[in-house]
Amino acid sequence: MFILENTKLKKIIAGLGLATSLLLLSGCVADKEEVTKIAVDGGVKYETKNGMYTSYHVNTQETKDFKYGRAPTKREISAWDIDLRPDGKGAPMYDMKHGEIILDVDGNKKVAQGSVEWGNELYDAQCAMCHGDFGAGGKGYPTLSGGEIDSLKNQLQNPADDIQTEEPPRRAIGSYWPYASTLFWYIQDAMPFPNPKSLSNSETYAITAYLLMENGVTVDGVEIDEEFVMNREQFLKVKMPNENGFYPQVDTPKNPKQGVVNVTKFLGNPSNYGTGIRCMTDCIKGKIPVLRIKNEMNNFHPAVSIVRDLPKVIKEEGAVHPGLAGYEASCSACHENAAIGAPVVGDKNVWAEVITKGIDKVYHNGINGINGMPPKGGNMDLSDKEMKIIIDYMISASK
Amino acid sequence: MDKISKLSKNIEVVSKKTAPTSRRDFFKKTAAISAVAATSVLSPIKIKADDTAIIHDAPWGVKLGDKVTKNPYGVPSPYEHNNVRRNDPLLSSGDSYATVSMCPLHESEGIITPNGLFFTRDHGGTAHIDPDQFRLMIHGKVKKEIVLTLAQLKRYPSVTRTHFIECPANGSTDWRAPQYNNLQFLKGMMSSAEWTGVLLKTILDDLGLEDDAIWMLAEGSDNAGNPRTIPVEKALDDAMIVWGQNGEALRAEQGYPVRLLVPGWEGNLNTKWLKRLEFSDKPWHTKEETSKYTMLQKSGKAIRYFWINEVNSVITSPCPEKPWTDLKKGDLVEVEGIAWSGQGTIKHVDISLDGGDNWVEASLKGLVLPKSWTRFSYIMRWDGKPLFLSSRAVDDLGSVQPTIDEETSKQGVESIYHRNAIVTWEVTSKGVVNNVHIRKHKA
Repeated sequence: MFILENTKLKKIIAGLGLATSLLLLSGCVADKEEVTKIAVDGGVKYETKNGMYTSYHVNTQETKDFKYGRAPTKREISAWDIDLRPDGKGAPMYDMKHGEIILDVDGNKKVAQGSVEWGNELYDAQCAMCHGDFGAGGKGYPTLSGGEIDSLKNQLQNPADDIQTEEPPRRAIGSYWPYASTLFWYIQDAMPFPNPKSLSNSETYAITAYLLMENGVTVDGVEIDEEFVMNREQFLKVKMPNENGFYPQVDTPKNPKQGVVNVTKFLGNPSNYGTGIRCMTDCIKGKIPVLRIKNEMNNFHPAVSIVRDLPKVIKEEGAVHPGLAGYEASCSACHENAAIGAPVVGDKNVWAEVITKGIDKVYHNGINGINGMPPKGGNMDLSDKEMKIIIDYMISASK
Repeated sequence: MDKISKLSKNIEVVSKKTAPTSRRDFFKKTAAISAVAATSVLSPIKIKADDTAIIHDAPWGVKLGDKVTKNPYGVPSPYEHNNVRRNDPLLSSGDSYATVSMCPLHESEGIITPNGLFFTRDHGGTAHIDPDQFRLMIHGKVKKEIVLTLAQLKRYPSVTRTHFIECPANGSTDWRAPQYNNLQFLKGMMSSAEWTGVLLKTILDDLGLEDDAIWMLAEGSDNAGNPRTIPVEKALDDAMIVWGQNGEALRAEQGYPVRLLVPGWEGNLNTKWLKRLEFSDKPWHTKEETSKYTMLQKSGKAIRYFWINEVNSVITSPCPEKPWTDLKKGDLVEVEGIAWSGQGTIKHVDISLDGGDNWVEASLKGLVLPKSWTRFSYIMRWDGKPLFLSSRAVDDLGSVQPTIDEETSKQGVESIYHRNAIVTWEVTSKGVVNNVHIRKHKA
């Protein structure tokens, strides 16, 4: 039998009036603190008082008029400020590079635009190996298409529930993403995964258009077909099906400050997202409902251990293979991931089969592409010679 | 209290079967077990009379040690080689660039994580920034736009504060059911450090914000950029631009040379490899605040801009990796853990031995700082009976950590992020510790 020694609680009871004591006896502790100021996140806002910020001492001398740094140039801002907002800010009119508009052979500004058809070609060459054909997923990386907004109400199996739903919610572009600006921006800035920032603005418009088509998104009420050409003007007309699927309301153009206020109000009330009650005794009332692990996840790298012994001495390896760095920088994103379908480096059986084609054929396939793999894995800045060294490494690491 | 005794069936002293016959055998056995799962890794080592570890000279006591000059940058004892970050390939479908490594919380001491063990979440691998090529641009609705080098940035007056950083997906594998039987993977998407840098307010007060500067975009210079929108009010409150982590430069995995620190808020708002801050009257709605880091509710609608890491706690000793298998019936033992809140300062932590039916207040221990890990402690005598050990934190806002039912009845089980329900460890009569859920839940 345990003795729960609750000296603090005893002190609280002794120091409180009758009404609160009754509350405590019924098992609840009233513990609302006196909070003077609420922060923007609905939490406690701490202020600097008497040279102290909470427990920290503070130097409160005036700090104004530093003269460090310099103003950025227009071109510097233009080079870095490539973000897009839902209101169309940043959706490029012309193809840009290094902060300047690209000119065509005649010296005219190159309009940024791309067709669905072109986007399809680009997608198949540079995206499908990770995101699956038509954005359907299945390669371990995010699924980009498929699914209905209605599926978002599904709550996938909770083992403690009586009723089990079969389908999980589908959070794909068409069913979940609220704005197309995000799609363009993310592709432009962070994709393709091993070669980010390698797509022109026109190519990005093309891939964006293709993905919107695969998701059945309309432009100005019209369905997108193969011939559709995406550019800034068309892009601003795109309205995503799930735009209203999110709260709190943060876009408040009439009063820009209201959006932040809405979030503060929401977060400041924990009952909006589930909060506890400080019950102290007899809180469960009845049998304690215990749910144990049924399917344990335990594929850990390295394996879990708290043993304190000397590590195994790793055999000194010879010189590092000259192809290793190139492999890690340009190839491993696909070739170490079984879900992609590419021969996994280290898998002796798979590579033994690859090599039966003959080394020249293997080099050829690596340089020119094979199945889902684009030429040189999409890393066109690699020379044929560098590719061969990388392939040599992949073979030697799979023996 | 009756319920606790009802739960106990067999009271046992630690089984003699698990006692090792030799030191070598012990390591062999424990290694075999730990390769499969993280259970029962502690066995009692019985010290015989006239223990050779005492009566013989230890090898390290009869010869010279390493030269003092051996390691210009020190490394942990080789015996500590299992105190490492770990990763589960399942969490990212085998990809090891856009993934997360978990902090070994079961080996964590105090309220500071050593820099080499700080959890790491990258969206496109760890970038290595040349500090001479580092530039920070602040532009948009500021009266004076500016570009700074690293040396110029570090000239601003600095402050040093202790804050945790937690990925809002911490604990997300447990929305539907318990799945990990260890602390490292259940709660290891967080760590804590003493950060040094400049308060953003110091710079912004000097540059001057336009009246309609309401939102700030923070963007990194790595391949993913990870742009996020932050309200200016937070930037002017306690947000920092930091370059120091536990007394040295940031680690590359933490954004070397400079990251944003947004105390108490979602981990991925703390932009690593920071390069740009832009001010605007509208939010950006970036990918990581629309398609990801939004919380789908039962209504089919999702919560966005859920900035805070809510009040939370977990018992770190015992835990599945650090069980009580070496304890004897009647041993006095400390139950210890970490509590934290992104909205304030930890005020109370309660402990339950019966899965949350009855609670007792634990002691807070050490420094109690806002938006920081806070240690708690409860010393008890274990009679060898099975327990359901839970902890529940309360912050100075009055927010109370919810039970699983209190959280899921409101949110459902598809939120992915911001799970802060009470964690319960089952302690068996043998002292083995398992992750269990105490839940009735009806959707």
